[in-house]
Order: sequence, then structure tokens, then C-alpha cells
Amino acid sequence: MQTEKRLEGGKLTLAPAGRLDTNTAPELEAELKLDGVDELVFDLSALEYVSSAGLRIFLSAQKAMSAKGGKMSIANPNGTVKGVFDITGCTGIFTIV
Amino acid sequence: MKRTLPYSVAAVLYAALMSVAWIIGTEQAREKTDAQLDYAILDFRSTIGGAIDTMLGHATEAAVRHFKIPGRHSMEEMAAVAKHLDLDELNIVDRDGMIIASNDPSCIGVDMKKTPETREFMKLTDGKTPTVAQPFRQHAYDAKTRRKYLGKPFPGGNGYIQVGLDEQRLAKMLPEILGYIFDEWLLGRTGFFLCADAETDAMISNPSRHRNEASTLSEAGFSADEAKPYEITGGEGAGETFVQTLFGEKCYCRCLLFGGHRFVPALPEHEYYDTRNVYVSVFGVLLAALLGSFAWFLDRIARDSDRLKAFFAAQEASRAKEMEIAKSIQNAALPAPLPPNPAFRLSAEMRAAKEVGGDFYDFFEPSPGKLAFLVADVSGKGISAALYMMTAKATIKNALMTGLSPAAALSKANAELSRGNTANMFLTAWAGIIDMESGKVAFANAGHNPPVLMHAAEGRGPEYLTAKSGPMMAYLDSVDYKPLSLTLKPGDALFLYTDGVTEALDGKNELFGEERLSETLGTVASNDPDAICRHVRVAVAAFAAGAPQADDITVLAIERLEPPHSFSRSFPPAQSGIADASAYLDGCLAALPQDDAEMFAPAMPALHVILDEIASNIVKHSGASGFQVDVTFNHAAGTAKLLFVDDGKPYDPLAHEDPDTTLSAEERPIGGLGLLMVKKMSDSLSYKREHNRNVFWAEKALPAPAKKDA
Repeated sequence: MQTEKRLEGGKLTLAPAGRLDTNTAPELEAELKLDGVDELVFDLSALEYVSSAGLRIFLSAQKAMSAKGGKMSIANPNGTVKGVFDITGCTGIFTIV
Repeated sequence: MKRTLPYSVAAVLYAALMSVAWIIGTEQAREKTDAQLDYAILDFRSTIGGAIDTMLGHATEAAVRHFKIPGRHSMEEMAAVAKHLDLDELNIVDRDGMIIASNDPSCIGVDMKKTPETREFMKLTDGKTPTVAQPFRQHAYDAKTRRKYLGKPFPGGNGYIQVGLDEQRLAKMLPEILGYIFDEWLLGRTGFFLCADAETDAMISNPSRHRNEASTLSEAGFSADEAKPYEITGGEGAGETFVQTLFGEKCYCRCLLFGGHRFVPALPEHEYYDTRNVYVSVFGVLLAALLGSFAWFLDRIARDSDRLKAFFAAQEASRAKEMEIAKSIQNAALPAPLPPNPAFRLSAEMRAAKEVGGDFYDFFEPSPGKLAFLVADVSGKGISAALYMMTAKATIKNALMTGLSPAAALSKANAELSRGNTANMFLTAWAGIIDMESGKVAFANAGHNPPVLMHAAEGRGPEYLTAKSGPMMAYLDSVDYKPLSLTLKPGDALFLYTDGVTEALDGKNELFGEERLSETLGTVASNDPDAICRHVRVAVAAFAAGAPQADDITVLAIERLEPPHSFSRSFPPAQSGIADASAYLDGCLAALPQDDAEMFAPAMPALHVILDEIASNIVKHSGASGFQVDVTFNHAAGTAKLLFVDDGKPYDPLAHEDPDTTLSAEERPIGGLGLLMVKKMSDSLSYKREHNRNVFWAEKALPAPAKKDA
């Protein structure tokens, strides 16, 4: 999978493309370096689906950002991904924009 | 019918018939009265005529005896004899017809042969004729006088004596001659004959029962003004009838003028009109009795008809109840729909007629991978047919469940059904068993309508399977039904029906027929059994166009489905295996025909998630030596299925407790979410431990609009 990464000041935007599952989750996890980041945005517009392995990354990131008083948001999830968030109760945890 | 109607009709009829009877009775009474009066006058004329002739005859004989032979006697002598004999004229005629002596000088020398009237007297000279008498006639020389002549011969026809009597003289003589006759003259039973002098009106006759009541006709009630007198001048004639009240009684009368007298034959009205009244009354009573009883009879019929109607209505109600029971038996006997099967689809419907027949259909799995299906029609209607249908259905099903072929099963069932067939029922049946794997259908047709094979291939129209295995069932004790078979290719359908379809009638009593059925099936959009059954039902209903359904209509369609696309591969228990499995899943979709691939594409993200979760679970936790993934795309059912087999430690994903998804990110343990997602994203799941392996599958159904043929 490919992940587009953009760092503007303290704001990190990550845009993973394709599928986020056990095969690709480690790749995204590798991109997730949160030192000096006070705002994290996942732009999921190019994401086909997410399995629990990918969800785990989002949850871990949310925990980490919350712990250091930063913000995290998820943008543009497709229907399937939004469905996964709904199923797992993550819609209430994430800030989805 | 109203209660009073028969009586009203009878009353009108009575009035009409009584009027007719009255008119006929009156007419008859009038005719009889006239006839009686005619007869009276005839009688009167002959009586009075006879009496005068006799009287004149005696006088003439006396003259003959006096003169002995013709001689020229003096007028004075002749006048004296005439006076003595009370005659107006007295002539002696010689053998040659010459009047040689007379009381009237003008007559002397008259030749009797000269006029036709006088010549008649010349017969007296033949020596044989005893008398010649003539009626009163106008006198030749005196218009006021009416005179009657009579002649008698001298012995040997040697001349004769002719005498003449005038009416005026007769009038004086009449009371003497006739009075006593008329006194007791009875006319019919109650009629009488009155006679009175025309001048003085003095009655010369008086019926004994009225003798003291009147001495003149006027006193008797007779009015000469109203009379229609008839003067007897000879020849025929009896005068006209008129009505007078005589002695206080209404009478039908005639009036004759003769010899200066009025003769009035009178017939009291009651003579015949009483008879009429009696007849009409008797007729009235009889008619009343007849019409009355007839009306009573009709009324009774109407009442009975009401009772009969009520009786028949009750019968109809109990019959309807029976039909309801029969219908519920029939419907209860029908099998429940089968669960979806990837190999075939089946649809069946039975529409019971108002008078339930004995149609039924059945389908069941006699053994795994086989489906038996049949349609049958039991003869007869009502509860008996419904009950016999139950027996037949159970018997055939039992035979098929023992593993027999349809032909053998029908033969066995036939033997049992014909043995117990006390009601002389029979049935036609078509039974088949389809092998779901190969599509081969073994079947037998026991006298049933030929089913229709509907090819999936383009351009091949519906085809009747006319092959028969043998006659109808339960009719012959032993029938060896011939086994038949055919193979349904994927997409082919078989349509079974009962004669309720082909023998449906339209308003013009025309049959729906096999040709029309074939045309109908040729226009079905697809071989979807639901669509076929619906199409036929609609076509038959449109054809019948409201005409009552005479027989049960049963249809059953079965379609062999395209076999599902299945793929199977094993993977090593490593992350690379999971990656391979994911790529493999994409490859499976790519291997599908294009339209199927498009159809299942929307399900792929969910399938990938399921695959990722289950496979990673196996890889991470089971310790399996590898895992197998079977992918099945069932386009007919619109489902995609992932089946996982691994030889790792027993693990039932379904027994795993769902994580609490209401916790915040901080509180939530990461993990367990994967199985929750599998459960939520699939439509059905199954786990079993089999041969030391975990067998788990999850099935995803396509959203309804994406289903093929829908």
C-alpha cells in the first residue's frame, strides 16, 4: 500500500491508499511518527477497506494523541470503512470529518 | 311470489269466466225462449188452421148432403143454406168448373178454371180428392175482406161445393172454437197463451192460474203500443219477440193478429232464465271450487318452494362447509417451501376451485443431493377426494422415500392405492427425482398431463414431454410404470401442471388448451420458477376473464441453476499466506464471468475484511500447519461464501464474547474487534469442529437489487 504523508508545522496528515489489513497495517504503523505532532489527520479518501489490524492503528494513534493533549481526526472514510467504524463503536471515539 | 298473487289471479279469472258463462247462459236462454215461442206459434197455426178446416169441412159436407147433386138452385135457397151453415159464400160448381148456383149472384157463371187460385178446386172432380182448403186471402172484389175457401166434391166427383168464410165471421166464431183450447194451453212449463178480441180487448182465453186477475189484455198488463204485432196472412212467419209484464211477471211475448183477435203467446222470463241462473250458479260454485283449490295449490307450491329454497340453502351451506374443510385438508397437505438450494429453484402453487378437486403437489429430499417433486390430480371433488388425496400423497411419498425410482415408486403406490380403493377413485400423477449434481431427472408419468421442458438455450421454445409411463393410478391393480428420464441443463426449467390449467374455460366455453399454454410459456421472461408460475396464473386468469374456475389449478416449476463458482486453495500459516489469500480472493472474482464479477464486486471489501480477520486469527493463535480457503460465488442465490479449514487447536469464533464497544479509546483493550466485524459484516456464519479441524464459514448476501434475475 502507499501512504501519502504531509507534515505542516505540528499537523501530520496521513492518506493511506488501498487496503488496510494485516498485510498493510505494519506499513502504515511505520509512517506513524508522532514526535512534535499536535494534530493528526487520517485522510481515508483512497482507502478501500479497513480490517481490525488497521482499526487498531487508528485506536492506538487516538490514545497516543489524547495522552499528549493533541488532536486527531479522520477524514473522508468511504461507506465500507464508515461501516466498520459504526460496527465497532469507533464512530463515537473518532472525530470524523 | 307473493302470498296473495295466486288468489288475485284466481279472482280475476273467476270474474272473467263467470261473465262469459253469464253471456253464454243468457244467449242460450234467449235462443230457447225464441225457439219455444216459434214452436208455440207453429203449433197455434196448425191448431187453429185445423180447427177452421174441420168446421168448414163439416159445413160443406152438410151442404153436399143437402144438395146431393149439382143443380141450378135459386139465389134465395143458396142464401138460406149459407146462413144456416153460417157461411159467407156458398157455390155449386158443375163438373166443368162453372159456378151454376151461388148465394152471390155475381158468382154465377164464373169459370173456376180461369184463375190459378180457383183452378185448384178442379182437383175435386177427379173422384178421389176429398177436400181442397185454402188459407184466408184478400177477397178478389173487396179489399177489406179476407176470405177463406174450402171445397168438397159431390159423390163421384160430379161437381163440388165451394164455401167461403170471411175473417169477420170467423172472429165471431173464434171464442167459441178456440177459447177453451187456449185456457189450458201450456207453453213450455210455465208459459201461457192469451187471446183477446182486437176491438174490445176482451180476453177469450185466460190461464186458469190467472183467471180471476184480468178480463182484458190491458188488465193483464199487456200494452198494445209496445207489442210488435204480426198479422198472419198465410205462409211462414212467427213474428218478433218483445217483452211485456203480464200478471206481474216479466214475459217474453209475440203478438199475432188473426181473425180480429190478438193472440199472445207469453213465456215468463224465469222459464229459461231461471235455468240459466241455476246453471251459472252451479258453474260459479264449481268454478270457485276449482279456481280456489288451484290458487290454494299454487300458493301451497309457493310456500313449499320457499321451504325447498331454505332446505337447499341449508344444503348449500353444509356443502360450502364441507368444501371449506376439503380446502383446508388440501392446503394442509401441501409442503412448506424448501430452503434455498444452490442447485435448483422451485416454485409451486395450487389454487383450489370453489368445489375443491383433488389436486396436490409435493417435494422433498428422499436422500441427500436428490429432490423428489410431483404433481397429481385425484378424481372427484369434496371431502372424499381430499381425504383420498391425503392417502395418495402419503403413499407416494413413502414409496419415494424408500429410495425407489419414480417409476418403481408409482408402481408400488399404485398397488397399494388400488387395493384400498373402495371409493373407486383414481389419480393421475407425474413424479420426478432430480439429481442436484448432474441435473438428471428420473421420472414417471402415470396418465398425467405432459410437463413442459423449458430450455435455457436461446431459440428453443417450450417442449412438451409427452412420454407416458402407464395409465392413471389406483385404477388397475398392477401397473409396471416405465421409467423415463431427461437431463436439465443449467438454466433449464420443467413446468408441471394439472388439467385445471389446460381445461380452464373462457366465457365462450373454449379451453385454454396445450397450445395456448405452450405459447404462454414461450413468452416468460426468464426460467425463474416464480416468474413461470406467476406468468401462467396471470395468463389463465386473463383467458378465463371472470368465468368461474371449475377445477383446481396447480402449477409447479423447477429450474436447475447454474452451479456456483467455487474455488479452493490452501495457504501457509504466515502473514505471507494471508497476503496470498487476499490476492487469491481477488483472483477468484476475476475468474468469474464478467457479469457475475460485476455482480459480486460490491461484496469484495467485506469479504476481504472477513478473510483478513479469520486468516490472521488462524495464523496468530491456532498453531495450524496451514489453512484452506474455499470461495463460493452463488449467483443464483446472490451470495458469496468464504469457508476456512485449519488443523489448529479447536477455536470457535462464534463463542468469543463480543468486546464492549461503548468504552472510550483509552479504556478499550485493543483486540476482539476483528471477530465482531466478521459477525457484523456477514449474513450467516457457521462453525464446526470436524475431523480435528476447525471448519468455519461466513456468507455475505448481496443487497437485494443486485441479485440476478430480480
